Amino acid sequence: MSIKIYTTPTCPYCTMAKKYFDSKNIGYENVDVTGDKQAAQEMIDKSGQRGVPVVEIDGNIIVGFDKEKIESYMK
Amino acid sequence: MHDIIIIGKGPAGISAALYTVRAGLDTLIIAKGDSVLIKADKIDNYYGFENSVSGRELLKAGERQAERLGASIVDDEVISLKKDEHYVVECTNGEYMAKSVLLSTGKVLKKLNITKLKDFEGKGVSYCSTCDGFFYRNLKVGVIGYGDYAVHEALELEAYTKNITIYSNGFDINASEGYLKRISRFKTNTKKIVKVDGEEFIKRIYFEDGSSEDIDGLFIAYESASSTDFARKLGILTKGDSIVVNDNQHTNLPGLFAAGDCTGGFKQVSTAVGEGAVAGKGIIDYVRAL
Repeated sequence: MSIKIYTTPTCPYCTMAKKYFDSKNIGYENVDVTGDKQAAQEMIDKSGQRGVPVVEIDGNIIVGFDKEKIESYMK
Repeated sequence: MHDIIIIGKGPAGISAALYTVRAGLDTLIIAKGDSVLIKADKIDNYYGFENSVSGRELLKAGERQAERLGASIVDDEVISLKKDEHYVVECTNGEYMAKSVLLSTGKVLKKLNITKLKDFEGKGVSYCSTCDGFFYRNLKVGVIGYGDYAVHEALELEAYTKNITIYSNGFDINASEGYLKRISRFKTNTKKIVKVDGEEFIKRIYFEDGSSEDIDGLFIAYESASSTDFARKLGILTKGDSIVVNDNQHTNLPGLFAAGDCTGGFKQVSTAVGEGAVAGKGIIDYVRAL
């Protein structure tokens, strides 16, 4: 399973999303969009919006920290 | 440093304070203005009153009761709530620290009737400068609001861009002295807003007089900051515009509790008082275990 989380350091829901995967010992790639303009644009293109976090699970995009949606894509 | 800061002085907040203060916790209640309960002329479904009681009577009696037992009540507007090692509650006239916080602000219905505003949520319209401010680096952003909360949000956005306009939506700017001093660094527009529009993302804001302006982002900081505004910035779980709590009225953030209308459910004095009592007990247990 491939998991990517687009985050900013000041966003509390980003921390929650990362903690959620940490608590389940599931690895993910954290992309801090504040330091990477190209990644920020990639996130906007994929999600069609400018809010973080954006969680990508095997190509499925979840905007915000939505535990139920995350779990539905991990089944 | 207070043991508990209660934001809001309606039935939920005061009820919690009665428990915390009687348990010996240093209890500070901060609220600006009165609970919506003040509009209730006659309450006939609350336990213990043989005759009707007004919302005003009930509220004032509750405040006096809390003060008699040792709680302090400060009349001030809470602008921001932050979690550091402890909770930091920033108000118009000062800053307070506490080991725990209870959100009992009620549920204010913000009357912001702007066509297509909802369509652009996440696409230029944001409710959280802390979360989304980064995406507007060096762009033209607006803050919709007319009070201290709006000026505070504009000041937060300054980290990302200098091109900031405060749109007061037909109201006079009504900020306190401290914030008024800082408002001159922003543009202000007091016209009534009727619509926002764009394509994939927001591009333009339209006013009642037929004029319009380009805009890249619009942050909503209308009226006073509500419980859900604080929740968004702290990462508290919400469902719709209600704060999610467990059986102890504890949110997902350690030390942060919520009670009353802001948690959704049956909006009654009796349920607010009950939730406040449960929160009070939860707060006592939490603070004592620290």
